[in-house]
Amino acid sequence: MSTIETAKPAEKKRDRYSAGVMEYRKMGYWQPDYEPKETDVIALFRVTPQDGVDPIEASAAVAGESSTATWTVVWTDRLTACDKYRAKCYRVDPVPNTPGSWFAYIAYDLDLFENGSIANLSASIIGNVFGFKPLKALRLEDMRLPVAYVKTFDGPATGIVVERERLDKFGRPLLGATVKPKLGLSGRNYGRVVYEALKGGLDFTKDDENINSQQFMHWRDRFLYCMEAVNKAQAATGEVKGTYLNITAGTMEDMYERAEFAKQLGSTIVMIDLVIGYTAIQSMAKWARRNDMILHLHRAGHSTYTRQKSHGVSFRVITKWMRLAGVDHIHAGTVVGKLEGDPYTTKGYYDLCREDFVPQNLAHGIFFDQPWASTRKLMPVASGGIHAGQMHQLIDLLGEDVVLQFGGGTIGHPMGIQAGAQANRVALEAMILARNEGRDILNEGPEILKAASRHCLPLRQALDTWKDVTFNYSSTDTPDFVPQVTAAE
Amino acid sequence: MRITQGAFSFLPDLTDEQIAKQIQYCINNGWAVNIEFTDDPHPRNTYWELWGLPMFDVKDAAGVMFELNECRKAYAGRHYIRVSAFDATHTWESVRLSFIVNRPENEPGFALERQEVDGRNIRYTTRPYAANQPEGARY
Amino acid sequence: MDAITEDPKTEAPIAPATEAVDLAAEFAETGLSEVFEELDRDLVGLAPVKKRLREIAALLLVDRARARFGLEAASPTLHMSFTGNPGTGKTTVALRMAEILHRLGYVRKGHLVTVTRDDLVGQYIGHTAPKTKEILKRAMGGVLFIDEAYYLYRPENERDYGQEAIEILLQVMENQRDDLVVILAGYADRMERFFHANPGFRSRVAHHIDFPDYSEEELNAIGGRILGAMNYVMSPKAEEAFARYISLRKEQPHFANGRSIRNALDRARLRQANRLFTAGRPVTAQDLRTLEAEDILASRVFSGGIDSYPPIGGTHP
Repeated sequence: MSTIETAKPAEKKRDRYSAGVMEYRKMGYWQPDYEPKETDVIALFRVTPQDGVDPIEASAAVAGESSTATWTVVWTDRLTACDKYRAKCYRVDPVPNTPGSWFAYIAYDLDLFENGSIANLSASIIGNVFGFKPLKALRLEDMRLPVAYVKTFDGPATGIVVERERLDKFGRPLLGATVKPKLGLSGRNYGRVVYEALKGGLDFTKDDENINSQQFMHWRDRFLYCMEAVNKAQAATGEVKGTYLNITAGTMEDMYERAEFAKQLGSTIVMIDLVIGYTAIQSMAKWARRNDMILHLHRAGHSTYTRQKSHGVSFRVITKWMRLAGVDHIHAGTVVGKLEGDPYTTKGYYDLCREDFVPQNLAHGIFFDQPWASTRKLMPVASGGIHAGQMHQLIDLLGEDVVLQFGGGTIGHPMGIQAGAQANRVALEAMILARNEGRDILNEGPEILKAASRHCLPLRQALDTWKDVTFNYSSTDTPDFVPQVTAAE
Repeated sequence: MRITQGAFSFLPDLTDEQIAKQIQYCINNGWAVNIEFTDDPHPRNTYWELWGLPMFDVKDAAGVMFELNECRKAYAGRHYIRVSAFDATHTWESVRLSFIVNRPENEPGFALERQEVDGRNIRYTTRPYAANQPEGARY
Repeated sequence: MDAITEDPKTEAPIAPATEAVDLAAEFAETGLSEVFEELDRDLVGLAPVKKRLREIAALLLVDRARARFGLEAASPTLHMSFTGNPGTGKTTVALRMAEILHRLGYVRKGHLVTVTRDDLVGQYIGHTAPKTKEILKRAMGGVLFIDEAYYLYRPENERDYGQEAIEILLQVMENQRDDLVVILAGYADRMERFFHANPGFRSRVAHHIDFPDYSEEELNAIGGRILGAMNYVMSPKAEEAFARYISLRKEQPHFANGRSIRNALDRARLRQANRLFTAGRPVTAQDLRTLEAEDILASRVFSGGIDSYPPIGGTHP
């Protein structure tokens, strides 16, 4: 710096650190000229300031509160390389078609985060800042995780490719079902459902998120009966089968105990719920990696903060965190089923699970190029209100690297669970066969199903039973950028 | 019984025309198509015998069908034969599609053996009935 | 079992005998005229070859039309032999032939796999069958071009593995006529002896096409096209020298028609470059694109030597 110019910064510096309250934008949290470094973590927030609050100041406040700042100037900043540690809001754009909301781009230096800890990352990025009074609402829309940060995580314990190798199942979606009713079955009755579904043709059955160890069924009973069912179905079909044993429990010690028992029984897969928390998830992922176990994650509870567009955390961020944290399966939406899921947004989640590099795609809600640096692929799971009659739509939308979970669509079959499972499997195989032959499954799907049902009575019955079931409600979490529609031909 | 390994086991046995279409799909994707056979249908029997090497430079399914028919001449009726496709793309580098194209006329299935051990635990063993006979004399 | 996918049966219904087929329209629809135009553009002369090609195309077109009226016999044999001296355009025509067959629907992919004996015949026992099959598999859906096919057959060596390759070839040529077309190529006299010794091949080859040597005018025209494509011209004196070069070279051994012309021009370009470089004066664009008589006349051909490439003995000017 030349001597002539020292006067100004010196003066500025004095201002910056004089005691009292100062606007965040003046404390260095707003730097419109800043160019993010390749190693910076970038967060994109949807900021809705209180009336009268300037959007730039609100965004700078978000940068401050999610990094080094507090409400007042502190002299202790000057004991640190505070310029480096300050998060920098470098861009604020109005949200299209949404007056009063802004997209704020904030860059964080890599040194702000502990290696391999989602807890630490989330404590910074969504720690205090979401309750900050000058904001009406705040949503974490997306994050760009730099390769340098991605490499501090192990990623999925198993991943799609190795899961397929272990199960010896290639070229088609996997089929699953959640045992119903969710609650109340005894261990013995529960295992019956598992056996029927697996023997009928499913690859997996699944505990529901709230099946842990209740009075009607203790966990050991469930595990023992389920593994009897799995082994019996395996011998009946000559095909590898599995059931997601939910090891979610009140303490880590209990979870480890359940996981060890599942392993001892020869299960290929265990399951946890998102509500156990990021640290518990990472612990179980490390355990799964040590023990050659596929780790299924049920996203229980996510809709409390992912569903509303104005406030919370987008599920695409949760997806990224979970791929880092190291789970192998994640429920990522069905589009056509009973649960929330806009097709474009959902496509974005699926890409984040399965691709090695996900390019920016605003129409899918993907704000940044996301490199995964060969982190293993996370198998998305489509579950909730889907049935065999939608097979063509599901495969068209979701591709083949997905677990399709037909709970009601299997167990609710009028001729029984085996018939329901068989109907789903026949529909699936016929559709994959037709797709590979080059047929337009989206348009010819119903015909293909009808043709397949000619040699499969259970499929015919399933198509008759559920032919009119659809869940056509508008989604709440949709992309803000619509693909440009051009006049066709 | 009918073992249900592979992508299309729940459908009626594929015709040669259908098999050729699946093979062409694999070739069009740039995957190497491979023919394998075995007379041990155990679900954990990963390594079926290779019929020659995976076919890397074939452009038309007829090339694979030619080898499949050669393999059938030697083993059809007495062995399972499957077609599988390998994708060498980075971050996949494994099988992309696998399906059975021939199976023995009679599939006797599997015995499930249970060994009761402590704490109500059971150790399970799946054993193909066919494996009671030596290799090559099973079907 | 087609219950699953319900493919419409591929066999089209037989057209009523009264219906008429517009062959010209069919020809246009296949896009064959472009292929023939390209052939005329790319290949100088070869009038009899081009005529045969059109005849074969017409035959296949008529076969297709006949099939529509239910008049078809068994699927036609399409294997061919291309005979002629080196450099007479056999490979280029084979490439076009693959495209013609593809457009008419007689091969599914239309690629050309070019091989010689070494690609088919192995060096130890058990090596040949997999090698031959590997090539056949690769060629399926297209055309297999076996250059100097007679080398497959070596009666003087009783332990020759070529016989094994021949047997596999014959079997596939007979049984998988829908899957590939084989073209056997080489010198006319040797091919004749080969067919004589292997009647199995003769009976399976439907079309024999003879590739004549180029006339001097045609060779000159080929030279003109080669230079044009590389943005060179000859001065009038150079042209005169080149005409003389052609008539001399043509009578010498190892003459390979178009290929010899290309080689001669490559060498002339070398000499031109050297001439311009050593002249030690600035050069114009005109200088850079013009071959002079001296660039041609420096050839050994004018002093009774052979201008072959790679050089046969001795050093090269």
